[in-house]
Amino acid sequence: MSESRTVTRSMLHAFLAALIRSKPGLAGAVILTIFVLAALLAPVLGLPDPVKGDLLARLKPPTISLSGFGAHPLGTDQLGRDILSRIIYGGRVTLMIAALSVLTGGVFGVVIGLISGFFGGWVDRVLMRVVDMQLSVPLTILALLIIASLGPALHNLVMVLALTSWVQYARVVRGQVLAVKSREYIQSARAIAAHPLRIIFHHVLPNVMTPAIVVLTLELARIILLEAGLSFLGLGIQPPDAAWGRMLAEGRTFMSTAWWLSVFPGVAIMLTVLSVNLLGDWLRDYFDPHLEG
Amino acid sequence: MKFHARPSSTSHLAMLRTAFAASVALVALSASAEAASLTIGLSSSVNSLDPAQAQVVQTDLSTISELYSSLVTRGPDMKLKGDLAESWAAVDDNTWSFKLKPGIKFPNGEALDAAAVKWNFDRVKSPDTKARNKLWFDPIKSIEVVSPTEIRFITDKPYPALPAQLSMFYLLAPKWTETHNPILEAMGTGPYDLVSATPGDRIVLKAKKDYYGAKPAYDDVTLRIIPEAAARMAAVEAKEVDLAFDIPVADVARLNKENGLAAGWIDSSRMMVLKINTLKAPLDKQAEVRQALNYAVDKKAIADAIYAGASTVSACQLVSPQYFGFNPDLKAYPYDPEKAKQLLKAAGVSGKLDVELEVPLGRYLAASDLAQIIGQQLSEVGINAKIHEMEFGAWAKKYAGGDLGNMALTGQAWPTLDADGLLSLYDSSNPTSYFKNADFDAALAKARSTTDVNARLEQYKIATKIMCEQAPDLFLFSQPTTYTHSKGVTWQARGDEWVRASDVTPAK
Repeated sequence: MSESRTVTRSMLHAFLAALIRSKPGLAGAVILTIFVLAALLAPVLGLPDPVKGDLLARLKPPTISLSGFGAHPLGTDQLGRDILSRIIYGGRVTLMIAALSVLTGGVFGVVIGLISGFFGGWVDRVLMRVVDMQLSVPLTILALLIIASLGPALHNLVMVLALTSWVQYARVVRGQVLAVKSREYIQSARAIAAHPLRIIFHHVLPNVMTPAIVVLTLELARIILLEAGLSFLGLGIQPPDAAWGRMLAEGRTFMSTAWWLSVFPGVAIMLTVLSVNLLGDWLRDYFDPHLEG
Repeated sequence: MKFHARPSSTSHLAMLRTAFAASVALVALSASAEAASLTIGLSSSVNSLDPAQAQVVQTDLSTISELYSSLVTRGPDMKLKGDLAESWAAVDDNTWSFKLKPGIKFPNGEALDAAAVKWNFDRVKSPDTKARNKLWFDPIKSIEVVSPTEIRFITDKPYPALPAQLSMFYLLAPKWTETHNPILEAMGTGPYDLVSATPGDRIVLKAKKDYYGAKPAYDDVTLRIIPEAAARMAAVEAKEVDLAFDIPVADVARLNKENGLAAGWIDSSRMMVLKINTLKAPLDKQAEVRQALNYAVDKKAIADAIYAGASTVSACQLVSPQYFGFNPDLKAYPYDPEKAKQLLKAAGVSGKLDVELEVPLGRYLAASDLAQIIGQQLSEVGINAKIHEMEFGAWAKKYAGGDLGNMALTGQAWPTLDADGLLSLYDSSNPTSYFKNADFDAALAKARSTTDVNARLEQYKIATKIMCEQAPDLFLFSQPTTYTHSKGVTWQARGDEWVRASDVTPAK
């Protein structure tokens, strides 16, 4: 018991050491941590109300400078709301939706991938045809269609985004299962007539998790963009709540008179997606023994 | 002109010369065409060229008015004048007589006489046509051809707004319509002929050579549909479009500063309101709750902020001073959140009152911004307005289907500029009134039953007062008509949403 804990700890140690050695990976991790912390701590940061605006302080340019933050560091929007505060609160919404969707899609996709790869035969064929079908449908159009008919609500959004993402996991996990299935330890588990579910969860799953985690990071970036896109089209979060895509859309009409309305949310989206991608790339390299050294 | 290149043969040179001459000719041609051509940028699509199916003034009806004639028309000075009609008069309380200009013919030779007018009227009334604007002509019972140049409209009850309503009645050629689809094609007696119509993109018009009325200044007119405000502005800045509408108020000052451009706004006849569904809980029973909504919103501050002051706060009525039937005695509900809270308390509302606020997108200026501020102000008196944004078409379907939410942001106008039409939107016999008040209906009916101007005004005073007290709306302010144009043209700005090429002339 204590021995395995020591092993886990040293693995974690090696992981972190490797992360710190990798400059892009570290940068990604740091930026993402800042965004996540800001989102989690938003209520205690003493920010102005993100929803309540001051009509007399509309479209005020950013006040941030070398001498300090000023009243509205990133300016105010067309209703006099503080943009920094809206970006941070919007980040809560965006990141929460992205995390929930990625997890929902991930769990579903991994399970499907495990079943498909492990049992093979007609189960595999049917499930993989479903995956092919799903892949043949343009995902943005599918999301638009579902949201337009069900109405834009948080749970619908999560469901739709999860739906567009599970196939990636299913395919990667299935391939990995096929590779693992013929290994000796699986054969011996079968030989002692272990229950298939036990084999799947105890012996197969731990060995297919690393590629799934890599897919997860890449999907996270894609989902943040898709959510921003849906919000931009007015099918995401309903006003007055902030979401980055929505802020971008609202700021669009003011591009020529007040650039800060859409530029800062755009930067937030870009930084988040970039950091998640950097982290994902590093994770893939880290877990892939062929690329080491 | 000498060519310095050394052509290998004389035929090559000749070819070059011809090409050059042709290109010079082409440039000259397009330059002369440019002088007499006008391009107008619209924010939404022209959906139908059939006068019976046209409802939106700024797009459908305006385009139709370039192609077809009506009996009367409203000029940019808001006054009615004859188009096909030479004169008109009320014969008695229930009969209007129109004298038509003689000898007007459609391009295919069909006569546009009293019989053709009657055919058009019967077409709109016929259930087979499924005319979307049939309701406009409901008060007219029948139509009688007296002679080829005189026609009479007979109503059940006196209908003083009839001439104004007929300014939205455009006339097709009977024989032509039998073999053509008037939704996509056109052949009329208006100032312009249709060259081409590309749905969602553009409509190209060419001036008639033998138009019976005053010849418009531009021979070639293109109506371009550019839904995105930023793209519309860019098109004007790039001089691709001469005149465009519905630009964000915030950009008016900027465009005005730009070289060769002018921009502005004019108070429009469209009143913005939150239409309240008074048949749906919790805003159905007590008028006090709806009054509280009216007290809770600072109309002036919002109009100043979002419409940059280019708007007039509603005097507790749908009717603005441009309309016949405006009630000068009514005053807007003052901004008084304390009073709102008291009213809510007195009405027995405890805690948060949850209501839906539907916001159709793409139709009204800055709709989303308005809804968000109003929602925020309502929340301060304990009303939690949950915003549902939806595409205008989807919302219109919901609204027409009797499924309106508790409140919806809409703008209401009636092109005849007569309270008769505007207030009839709240008559309980109207399927989209969402308001039932017998006294209000009675006042409208009484106003309709007389041609006496003072008696009508008296009834509209009663009707608007009832509406103010019963508050089937959260009355807001007028929506400005914003526009921008190149300094090369002059546009006679008008606030009733008609977009007519004949209102535009080259600047001197």
